[in-house]
Amino acid sequence: MTLFGFEAYKTFSRWRTYISFGVLALIVLMTEIVMRVSAREIVGSMMKPFQRDFIIAGNIVNAWFITAFIMNSLHFHIPFFVTLVAGDIVSSEATAGTVRFLLIRPPSRQRILNAKYLTALFYTAGLVIFFAVLCLCLGLALFGSGDLIMHRLGQFSVVFIPEAEIPLRMLLAFVAAVWSMTVVASLAFLFSAMAENSIGPIIGTMAVVICFLIFGNLPLDFFRHLKPFFFTTHMLLWQGFFDRSIQWLAIGQSALILGMHNAALFFIASLIYRRKDIKS
Amino acid sequence: MESVLQTCDLGKRFGKRWAARGIDLEVRRGDIFCFLGPNGAGKSTTIRMILTLLKPTTGTVQLFGKDPHKNRVAALSRVCGIVEKPDFYLYLSASKNLELLGSLTRRITGDEIMEVLARVGLTQRAHDKVRTFSHGMKQRLGIAQALLTRPELIILDEPTTGLDPQGMKDVRELIQRLAHEEGMTIFLSSHLLSEIEQVATRMAVVHRGQVVAQGAVSDLLAQEATDYSLQVSPVKQALKIIKTLPWVTVLASGDKGIEVRLEPDRAAELNKALCTKGIEVFALYPRRTLEDFFLKVTKGAPEI
Repeated sequence: MTLFGFEAYKTFSRWRTYISFGVLALIVLMTEIVMRVSAREIVGSMMKPFQRDFIIAGNIVNAWFITAFIMNSLHFHIPFFVTLVAGDIVSSEATAGTVRFLLIRPPSRQRILNAKYLTALFYTAGLVIFFAVLCLCLGLALFGSGDLIMHRLGQFSVVFIPEAEIPLRMLLAFVAAVWSMTVVASLAFLFSAMAENSIGPIIGTMAVVICFLIFGNLPLDFFRHLKPFFFTTHMLLWQGFFDRSIQWLAIGQSALILGMHNAALFFIASLIYRRKDIKS
Repeated sequence: MESVLQTCDLGKRFGKRWAARGIDLEVRRGDIFCFLGPNGAGKSTTIRMILTLLKPTTGTVQLFGKDPHKNRVAALSRVCGIVEKPDFYLYLSASKNLELLGSLTRRITGDEIMEVLARVGLTQRAHDKVRTFSHGMKQRLGIAQALLTRPELIILDEPTTGLDPQGMKDVRELIQRLAHEEGMTIFLSSHLLSEIEQVATRMAVVHRGQVVAQGAVSDLLAQEATDYSLQVSPVKQALKIIKTLPWVTVLASGDKGIEVRLEPDRAAELNKALCTKGIEVFALYPRRTLEDFFLKVTKGAPEI
């Protein structure tokens, strides 16, 4: 068994790993059912500013619309689920005492850490993919397909994307969403490598994410200048795939910044863990 | 004899406090080497440094001639150990734990897992989750995982701690079997003197982070063994003879025997003196115990 297989087996043998999938399924299910029941009012209120200038016809509330709509809450709930596993993956070995078996074996600490990091990323990707598949499948079953007409939050504009273009854009948006969530996983992983219990890394990561989200949205010049450097700002890069024309440069820049965050966080985690004295 | 574990000036400092300092150990192939010391003496710290859980502040470790901190694979693939209490993935079965942990060293088959579980008497519980195991069962499972990788050196940190008398006996017997029947070298830390007296061939005494004595158990105990117990008949006549010998001091006497203090290396002479005067000597043995020895060598050891 490879080290990655070893870590993946352990992670996916624990019932707590599946809490996230269960809660996520519940969120999607509830949202789509409520949308099915009250679609007319929701769309009415969203499109109210445009009704004087546009006549909107056809199946607006379709699977694509619903998925894009639910994706807007992605950076609130998925980070929490990601930290549940990524924040626990290293520190739980110290809590359980199994670290004393694990780190006296021939594989180096770096190799073990690599396997754990890969597992955390694998879980993160799995969670976002699960979310995507569930949203789309349930959406297609309840609402059917159609063109995507979206009101971008905070902007006085409506984006129209023909049905033929949507699958590819949706795929790219979810790839970007996976990428953005890996930064949360990396941050939780760093805290996990530093800690001897799981509570600290989970709370610490959520605290950082929430603080950065709040700072990024405060209408103060100080934070406005810092906002481009917050990883939470770039976590919304997936929204770029629902612009009228895709802004590849901006998306690329955000992806690069997130990638640099990932590399830096993992590098620091490795540095700390390789030198760490195991006293537990 | 080949040295399988050697430490040289090994030390670890936490902040301003040295938990271990200047530790020089040598464990040879086939030894049951006991690392004896009271709680907090630095035994676990030393073991953690040997097994790379702690980075030494000073000194070096050699396992089979290789430094595990620099050449991990070569050094640690021939060693296995249990540091403090054996902890496992509680949500997995015993056999799955062994499979996963064993696979970190080499590919493990199901037959090998069942074989080691049988050796520690856990076959019936192979598929039960470890969370249902008692401490003694976890200890045995810990030894099973150590055996699974077929190590040449097993390092056990206080393996009988928390076990009931039967469990302690089982572990001691298992250790002796591994050393005598399978030729494994055992490095064992303990604060239980009786345990060491029963199993050890060589030992080191650590106190306040420093090694204060090291060598073969019999040599260490014989070095300054001056108090002896005598079982003789008739006792009264023997006592009269002994009192004429200027190099013997009678400490106590009773119906069954006499306690004496001798000048070093004169036990054989005493035996001869009694036998030539027609006294039957049933037993003449040093009264000194490991406990006496331990208390003596640790008395007055400096703080570090």
